[in-house]
Amino acid sequence: MRYETVIGLEVHVELATDSKIFCSCSAHSYGAEPNDHVCPACCGMPGMLPVVNRRVVDFGMKAGMMLNCHINRVTTFDKKSYYYPDLPAAYQTTQWFAPVAVNGTVEIDTPAGKKAIRIKQIHMEEDAGKLVHDLREDTTHVDFNRTSVPLIEIVSQPDLSSAAEVEAYLERLKTLLRYARVAECEMAHGTMRCDVNLSIRPEGSTEYGVRTEMKNMNSIEAIKRAIEYETARHIDAVENGTEVLVQETRRWDDVKGKSYAMRTKETAGDYRYFPDPNVMPVVIDDEWYDSIADSLPELPEVKFERYTSEMGLGEYDAEQLTRSIALCECFESAVEVCGSAKDAANWVISEIMSILNTKGMTYDMLTVNGETLGRLIVLVRDGKVGRANARRILADMFDDATIDPEAYAEKMGFIVSNDTGLIESVVKAVVAADPASVAAYKGGREKALMALFGKCMKELRGNCDPQVLRVVLLAEIEKA
Amino acid sequence: MNRETLRRLEMLNQLSLTEEQKDDVIRFFDAREADFEVIDKFFDTADVERMVHVMPVMTVVREDKVIKKFEREALQQNAPETDEGYWCVPRVLE
Amino acid sequence: MKIITAKTDCACEKRIALDDMILTSDMPTAAGSRMLDGYMSLFDAEVVTRLKEAGHCVSMKADVGEFAVDLMGETSYNGAPVASGVLVNAACETVKNGDAVAAISLDVNGAIRRGAAQSGLVCIKPTYGTVSRYGTIPAACSGECVSVTAGDVKTVADILSVIAGHDDKDGTSLPAEKCEAAGKVTAPVKRIGVIRALCEGVDADVQAKLDEFCAKAQAAGIEIVTFDGAALTAARAAWNVLMSAEVCNNVSRYDGVKYGYRAERFTNIDELYTNSRTEAFGDVLKSVILYGSETLSTENYMKVYDKSLRVRRIICEIFADLFEDADAVLMPAVGKMAYTEEDVKADKYMAFSENVYTAPASITGLPAVVAGGVQLVGPALSDAALLDAVARIG
Repeated sequence: MRYETVIGLEVHVELATDSKIFCSCSAHSYGAEPNDHVCPACCGMPGMLPVVNRRVVDFGMKAGMMLNCHINRVTTFDKKSYYYPDLPAAYQTTQWFAPVAVNGTVEIDTPAGKKAIRIKQIHMEEDAGKLVHDLREDTTHVDFNRTSVPLIEIVSQPDLSSAAEVEAYLERLKTLLRYARVAECEMAHGTMRCDVNLSIRPEGSTEYGVRTEMKNMNSIEAIKRAIEYETARHIDAVENGTEVLVQETRRWDDVKGKSYAMRTKETAGDYRYFPDPNVMPVVIDDEWYDSIADSLPELPEVKFERYTSEMGLGEYDAEQLTRSIALCECFESAVEVCGSAKDAANWVISEIMSILNTKGMTYDMLTVNGETLGRLIVLVRDGKVGRANARRILADMFDDATIDPEAYAEKMGFIVSNDTGLIESVVKAVVAADPASVAAYKGGREKALMALFGKCMKELRGNCDPQVLRVVLLAEIEKA
Repeated sequence: MNRETLRRLEMLNQLSLTEEQKDDVIRFFDAREADFEVIDKFFDTADVERMVHVMPVMTVVREDKVIKKFEREALQQNAPETDEGYWCVPRVLE
Repeated sequence: MKIITAKTDCACEKRIALDDMILTSDMPTAAGSRMLDGYMSLFDAEVVTRLKEAGHCVSMKADVGEFAVDLMGETSYNGAPVASGVLVNAACETVKNGDAVAAISLDVNGAIRRGAAQSGLVCIKPTYGTVSRYGTIPAACSGECVSVTAGDVKTVADILSVIAGHDDKDGTSLPAEKCEAAGKVTAPVKRIGVIRALCEGVDADVQAKLDEFCAKAQAAGIEIVTFDGAALTAARAAWNVLMSAEVCNNVSRYDGVKYGYRAERFTNIDELYTNSRTEAFGDVLKSVILYGSETLSTENYMKVYDKSLRVRRIICEIFADLFEDADAVLMPAVGKMAYTEEDVKADKYMAFSENVYTAPASITGLPAVVAGGVQLVGPALSDAALLDAVARIG
């Protein structure tokens, strides 16, 4: 018999706010000293009261709109109780009765064409702390930096049917949430985590089989392997009776390539949800709703279409730029200033992207202002600053976003000289000092000309129109 | 309320009762359940909207601003056990 | 009587006692529980900050029953506060004895109102949201209020005006204009309705207090009418559900890990939790935790917890109807003028039946003033009007 795999995902995404969801501690726990971003509220001490971070609601709504959800205009918070050392109050404040967004869809590409994955709901909640198991043999160390960092949990319907579809879905979520600038979605940083619910059924059947859940998956490759493994295990159980499937939570061991049933307590899953009396309902009025709706970004495929058909970029360039909203925004504002999509695309792709790569920064971390880049492009195009010097200015713009390209070029002595007398005297000296290269060029070696050209440019500190220099240099070689 | 349910409740709430206390707790449950029957005598709650908050205050939100007021050392002054800036518990098997 | 911490060197006129549910950074706060014995808060409650800024001397902590859910303090790990066999409220005692001019308490289940009624003091449980709960130990957050108790109405009003007002740190705090409105008498009490159903079955000495209050009110030109109000007796069952569930959730944070009591013996995390909580919590609190937990179970949530939330709305509507015909309603605060040690020995859960008198104001968040041994409940924000009424009645 042929089987199909039925998969639903619960994806946890850390929101990119500055402060935590219910207290004013820093939400940037990654890489911090243990328990440095903690206050009495987020380490479970009595007396402080939760006050909702407005931007968490902004981002929750935005994520909902990006995923075509209905936004609940009255959204409320609830308490979920259980004991675990990473949960200092022994309850998590989450949304159970009226989550911020419901009933959405995310479209993914599959070999068979587009497929819509239905979103059941998106709810806002606080993250748990982090447990460290490897400092001492008999002890678990507890770090509350991550406690109360805002999360959204995106719950899909069981509409996914393969590891490839899961990958496409997760990539699409990442793109949409990063475009909306609500989250980093970096599995390696733990800012995106995933629970996989999986069952199998005979192809064509509408009933669901026994479902197992693999919690806290944090790499796409591991998720793919786990799905393959679980699918095979379920089929084997059903076909060959190798084991009896039970609804349970399993842990994926990526090193061994196997999943294991987790030891669960008899009382697991008994969460006793109830409305949090300390958090008032959040009412999203039209003004608030519209301000978020108006701030939604153009989707990457729409940008791609516009870049290629309206702005005349090649597909490769358009694809590179649309990899990040930050690159798109930089490119688009640069075009507004310099008027040339091709120039702006060139600078963003060959200069900015490579600097980001060298610095080990993600494209979304770009801080260079597109308008400033546009002005720099104009300076180069007008021949006022040489390309090499412009690159140096751009590199400095990464460290100081306030740099004004003209003033900075002036200050650094990068303004191209139109003093032909100076150019001629430099060329004369270089040619006179290197008869070997001159002879080699005359003997047919093109490279020798480049060496001479480079020497002249260096002497002139780059402040020279390359066309002018070339003409003067060739004339001087002719004379020599 | 019976012993089996009570045992589950104890586990759920990380409490362990003596036999005598169990009888006592069951008496408490019985009394509360008897009380609760009064509610059905007085009211039909079927079409009533639940009321979580007694005052009509909505949308209490704060700006997304980081304020650091507390140092780790102070936060851990009441702690039974800490190590290298962490709170400590017996090893938790995952 | 238990004063836990007192700065005895202070003899000024502005001494204030706090009950041990209010956090202070210079005195320990234990909430009457072995779990929090010696616990030092890192910050002061908002009410403490406001009192200190107004020049008051916050100089002592009075004991409470464990997390203030009991009758009068009898569940404190320090032992029941008793004076010649009669239970007393420690915060009230500080006022009665002149150790403090006023006491600030967290009214969770009416213990302070019962104490004030029995001691002949004046106490206000203000409208929910008019006094910040920032820095109070959470027990039953949806209804608990910071209250003021003193020997006379003027002192209560003065202290209340210091601590009331909007606070950004409490998400349930009312807007400033609402808090101000509660501090002004816009409609003086002209007619009081007696809730007959709640007056039935009280001891003769309580009945005498009610009669005396009515007579004085009439002498002061206030009309007395009578309402049946039988449905208000059902507030108790619903409040016991909401309170127990919230207490269960709020005390789940005490697990021996971050601070507070930790058992000496354990071999794994569950034993650490269970032994710490089992050893540190008292019997009554344990019953409340377990009952509260059960009301939130999947099986019971709709038929018990959610139903109690609906009853809360019905009780609010009943009060609203009554306030169409009267400016305030009169009910006892206690069933007898002296609860004895014997009473709570015979029935350790007495607080959950005797709170029939205090639950109507707790579950609705309505202001309640205790004076002359009886309780006057008014519409939301009628705090100043209620105090004005009891001042006129004398």
